[in-house]
Parts: sequence; C-alpha cells; structure tokens
Amino acid sequence: MTETLVPQAPVSTAEIAPHRPTDWRSHAMERRIRRRYTAERRFRLLGLGAVVVSAACLAFLLIVMIAQGYQGFVETRLTLPLDLRDLRLERSPERLKGPGADLALAGAGLERAVDAAANRAYEAEGGAALLSDGAWLRVRDAIKHDPRLLTHPFTLALPVASAIDVAAKGNGTPAAERSVAKLGAHLSCGAAWDFFTGADSTDAARAGIWGALKGSLLTMVVTLALAFPVGVLSAIYLEEYAPRNRATDFIEVSINNLAAVPSIVFGLLGLAVFLGTLHLPRSAPLVGGLTLALMTMPVIVIASRNAIRAVPPSIRDAALAVGASPIQVVSHHVLPLAAPGILTGTIIGMARALGETAPLLMIGMRAFIAAPPAGFTDSATALPVQIFLWSDQVSRGFVEKTSAAILVLLVFLVAMNGVAIFLRNRFETRW
Amino acid sequence: MRRLVLALAAVLPVALGACVDQAAGGGAGARDQIRVVGSSTVYPFTTLVAEQYLAANPDARPPVIESTGTGAGIRLFCSGIGASYPDLVDASRRMKRREYDECASHGAGDLMEVQIGIDGIALAEARRRPPMQLTPALLFRALAAAPGGRPNRSRTWRDLDPALPATPIRVYGPPATSGTRDAFAELILARGCEALDPRLATMRERDRPAFDARCLRVRDDGAFIDAGENDNLIVQKLRANPDALGIFGYSYLEENSDAVRGIAISGVAPTYQAIADGRYPGARPLYVYVKRSHLRAVPGLRRFLALYAANWAPGGALTRRGLIPSAASVRARAADTIMHDRALDLRTLD
Repeated sequence: MTETLVPQAPVSTAEIAPHRPTDWRSHAMERRIRRRYTAERRFRLLGLGAVVVSAACLAFLLIVMIAQGYQGFVETRLTLPLDLRDLRLERSPERLKGPGADLALAGAGLERAVDAAANRAYEAEGGAALLSDGAWLRVRDAIKHDPRLLTHPFTLALPVASAIDVAAKGNGTPAAERSVAKLGAHLSCGAAWDFFTGADSTDAARAGIWGALKGSLLTMVVTLALAFPVGVLSAIYLEEYAPRNRATDFIEVSINNLAAVPSIVFGLLGLAVFLGTLHLPRSAPLVGGLTLALMTMPVIVIASRNAIRAVPPSIRDAALAVGASPIQVVSHHVLPLAAPGILTGTIIGMARALGETAPLLMIGMRAFIAAPPAGFTDSATALPVQIFLWSDQVSRGFVEKTSAAILVLLVFLVAMNGVAIFLRNRFETRW
Repeated sequence: MRRLVLALAAVLPVALGACVDQAAGGGAGARDQIRVVGSSTVYPFTTLVAEQYLAANPDARPPVIESTGTGAGIRLFCSGIGASYPDLVDASRRMKRREYDECASHGAGDLMEVQIGIDGIALAEARRRPPMQLTPALLFRALAAAPGGRPNRSRTWRDLDPALPATPIRVYGPPATSGTRDAFAELILARGCEALDPRLATMRERDRPAFDARCLRVRDDGAFIDAGENDNLIVQKLRANPDALGIFGYSYLEENSDAVRGIAISGVAPTYQAIADGRYPGARPLYVYVKRSHLRAVPGLRRFLALYAANWAPGGALTRRGLIPSAASVRARAADTIMHDRALDLRTLD
C-alpha cells in the first residue's frame, strides 16, 4: 500500500482568497438549507410511498381472497333422519370394516336409500335435489366407521347441493334462497374437511384440494431431486475448478440466458423430449418435475455461484495452507459458508416452480382426476393448474373454491419462504 | 457440513426411485386408467360420468379427463393406438373426413361414434341492456370477414339495420381451435351466408373450400374478440361491458341467467325446449368418439360408456348439469352403438 487513495491535488499558483467564516444566518444560506431538508424529506416519503403501494397491493389481494375464499373452508349441512334397517346387505354389518365394504354398500342401494330419505323428510323443499351428489358417500363412511348404525334410526348432517350452499352463504339464485329460508333450522355449518382430503370433483360441494396439493408435492420432490444436486455441483465446478476461457464464458452466458427463457418454452421442450421421444406417461408428476427442474436449474446455478463467490478467498487460502485437499476445502469450508445463499436461491427457484402453470398445461397436467395420485407416474394436476381449472367451471360454487385454493397455495408459498429464512438463519456464518 | 451431506443422501434415493418408477410406468404397455381428451363443452359431462364411474367402482383408478378443445383433442386422439394415446375424445361437433383420414393413417381408424346429447350455442347479452333480435343473416353481415366479397366495414349494429341500437359491434367468442366456434360458423354464419345469397348453397356442394372462405371466415379487425376457452371469462366480460355480446354454450347461459340473457335468433330464444326440439338454429349435437380396439384393452371403458347412456335421458344426472337430451330415437341408436360396438359409418362424414 504505497499509493494513497486520494490523488495529489494539483498545485495552484494562484493567490488563495482569504478565508471568511460561512454565514449560516444569511437569507440565501437558510433557503439552501431548507431546500436540502425538503428534498431529503421528499425522498424519504417517496420510498415510504413505494412500500405502501406494494403493501397495499398485497393486502388487497389477500383481503379479496380471504373475503371470497374463507367460505370455501365452510360447508352447509342439512340434518337428515335416516333409517337404513331395510337395506339389503349380503354380509353382516360387523364385516363391513374390511375391504370391499364400499362395493357392498353401493351394491345394496345406499345411494337410493339416502335419496329416498331426503325425499321423505324434505319433500316440499326439494327432496334429494337439496343434497350434494356425494352426500351418500358421507353416509357410507359413517357406516363403515360404525356398522351398528344399520340397526337403528339415526340422524346425520349431510352436505347440501352446491346451489343451496351458495344461497345459504347469501349469494344464490332467488329459488335457492327460498329453499334456504324454508329449511331454516335444519341447516347447520361445519368445517369442510373434504376440501383438504378430497380431489377434484364436478360438484363444488365435494371438490377438494388434496389431489392437486399432492400432485404439486410429488412434482416438487422430482424437481428438487434433480435440480438441486445438478445445480449446486455445476456451480461448484464452474466456480472452483473450471478454467477461465471461452468455453466457460459461453456456458455462463448460456446459463444466464436459460434463466430468462419463458416457462412455456420449457413446457414445449418437455412435451417434445419427455413425452414425444422418451414416451414417459402424460400428466405424470414425474414429467412435470423433470420439466420444472429444467426451468429451476439455471436459477439454482446462478444463486449458488454467487453464494460461492462471496466466500472470501482468504478462507480457501488458509485451508489450503494448513494442508487441506481441494475437495476438503470445498466440502469443509466453501459449501457450509455458501449454504445460506445456495438454500435461499434454491427455495426461491422452487417457489417459482410451484406457482408455474404454463409448462404443466403443455404436458397434460391439466386434467380432471377424481382421486389423488398414488405415485410419481400416476396422472395428477398441480395447485396452480387446479385453480385455473376451477376458475373455468360452470357452477358458481367453484368461485369460493377457487379463492380457497389460492389461499392454500399462498400458505404453501409462505411456508416455503419461512423454511428458507429458517435455513438461512440456521446455517448463517460470520467471518 | 455433515447436515448437508445427510440432506443430499436423503434426496438421492428419491431421485433413483423416480428413475425406477419411470422404467415401470413409461412408454407403451397396458394401462388400466381411462384417458379422455377433447372439447371444453363436453368436459363437464364427461367429468360427471368419470365421477359416477369412480363412485360405482371404488377400486378402479380414476379416469383422466383433459379439456383441450375439440380440434386439439382429435389430433391427440388420432396420433395412434396403444397405452400412450387417449381412449376417448369429446367432440362438440362431428369429426371431419380429413380428421378421420388422419386417424386412419395412424392405425386408429376403427372408431365408434356416440351422440351423447345436444348443446345450444347461445348468443348472450347483459341483462342490463334492452333485448336485441337477430337473424343468421344479420350475424353473418356483422361478423364475417368479407360478406358479399367485400371487406367488412360495419362498425355499429345500426349500420346493418336501422332498427338496431347504435352500439359498436363487439362479440366475445371462443378461439378457432374450439368446437363451439366451428359450430357457430357452421350453424349460424353458413346459414346467414346462404340466406343472403341462395346461389351459395350449390357452391357448398361443389366447392367446399371456396364456400368456407366465403362464408365461415370471421373478421379479425376487433369486432370479434377471441376470449379463449374460458366461458366464465366471457360471462364476466358481458357483466363488465353491457355493449358487448358473447358466444358460449347453453349450460353457461343457464347457470348465469341472473346476469346474462340469451338473444333470440330468428325469433327463437335459446331455451331448453327450443334447443331440444330443434327450433333454435344454434343447436348442435355433442359426441364422444371411442377407439374400438381400446374397448378390450382398457378395463372399465365399456362400463364408462354405459354410464353416459344411463344418465343422458331427460331428468338424468347429465341433463341436470345442463346437457340437453337428444331425441328418443337418437338416444336409442346411440345406446345400441355402445351395446354392440357398432363402428362409425364413414359415408356420413363430410
């Protein structure tokens, strides 16, 4: 450090004017000072305004979604007296707990029996049309849970048809509103657990989010399993080992380009490669995960490279100086120190992949599937696609289901970001 | 660092598992899951059938139903036979000869055609505006790219008929890949075109491409607005913009009858009755096409088809969802097709 940071001032030969103390009281000076403070205040308010605008957008979105969506978590039920003693079952009620019970009960005409009971109890109000198409499934589950119900009359609160449900929540057609007014005290409210355990349905009263959520989870697992190791390893190679030459420059430019390619292009790529050439199953989380991994990988590479580059060279030098091998330097020092940045980048990439719709549409993950997927190669949808599908449904009951699904997606995203913050704090190191 | 290694170790088996899965599930081979693609108009009915199928067969794997639009659906359906191609295609119009040839060239020519019911193409307006009365000829002059061979210059409805309001012509409709759009062109525009110039009817017989270019092309200067395959979006646009008209399926009209109203065409309003008995000019049959070779290969496909027949009569579950039942004789013939696997009669395609 022989040079000074300040270059030497040129030597002036002119006579320096005699120095006079600054007159802070002069009119011009006060005006200039006032102007400085005003500009400062204006700048601060501008920043504050920007924060307020973005917070207001977020709050608006949340308030609208919660206002429309909270009712999606609530269902209206109708109390129905049931007497299933005449149901002809081929097997004794005690054996209903075993496998095949679903088939036995369906075969015994349970659906007709439930409809008949509704017609008897609420004939004037609309009978069986009041109940959701899937109401008898609720009865079936109750019987499977407690087969003794078949031996005596009982009452059960069953979900109502979507039109009645919407009317009970104050948004229905005049005819449905009248039915609700007549039913009065027979209606009750309850948490719509089916929404969290069920899959897609044509009946808004039965539609659930679990199928799509599970599809999203499986897709994310595949994406993470592929994109994380490949992304991090290529970042380590590019930062720690690769020589600096034209080839690596070209790779760097390509990766940056890839990160900016619109997601629909990856969808087309997935369609051509995974479905067209490799003949992987259509609509499967496996293919969705592979496609999204292609999209997420460049993001992870870039984030990891930045994190690795931010590790001070002195740490590497020190480790090498005490005799660590290059792989020890990377695995004992560089990676742990870069971990917070790598993990944050990964989770941000994953969050983007979670919200992605376009590539999934291309590979057929926009189907109606009435049961949750069982594995990676089963057909499935994903959360954002489910939201898109429900927004296109004829029935009005789906409006609140759409908003409720958006809330679930938001909670999922917040949870992921929470994990990112937790991991960052956990692995955070100081040097 | 050990934690990181552990995390990696936890992730790797999953990746390997995915590879094993891929070997087991990929490619050709048997499939025990019914796959359907096609029209967004038939989609709500097929999904309902799928749901009933699953309720009646709790052990079956859930059918997969994709809404792709009729044109794209038929292309997927026709790309071959075997496990990687759909078993069924929903169509909101009949398959065209050209599409059938495409199917046959990929070995998927052994088809069954089932008419599941009727849908009305409704022209709708916001309830807030005074009702309009239109005819196919007026609609043709308003929406065709070149009525009478000259580019369409009409801006407002009054330009066409002094009795109509002076609001700008603005119609939201489905995109060109949609069966609803094809049916609209076929049922309304072609009829209007022929009504204006009766000589064109003979042209339709002799020179089909010229007729299509003359009569079925929709203008693209902003009067007809492509609103995508989402019919709810069109309803929302009509709510927001009462000057506009919208084209969508009858079931959407019924569900949103508090906000929009069907426009009478030639004096006939799109009602359930008028569509069922064929008086409404915008009525069109809805079909599903099935590969006969898949009937044996895919378990449950036959039961799936039978469920359409069980629910398409008046009062059945499908009609409660907005499907309009076809005439009793048509239903009987379709049920017979399903029962006896009757092949599609090629001579009837055009």
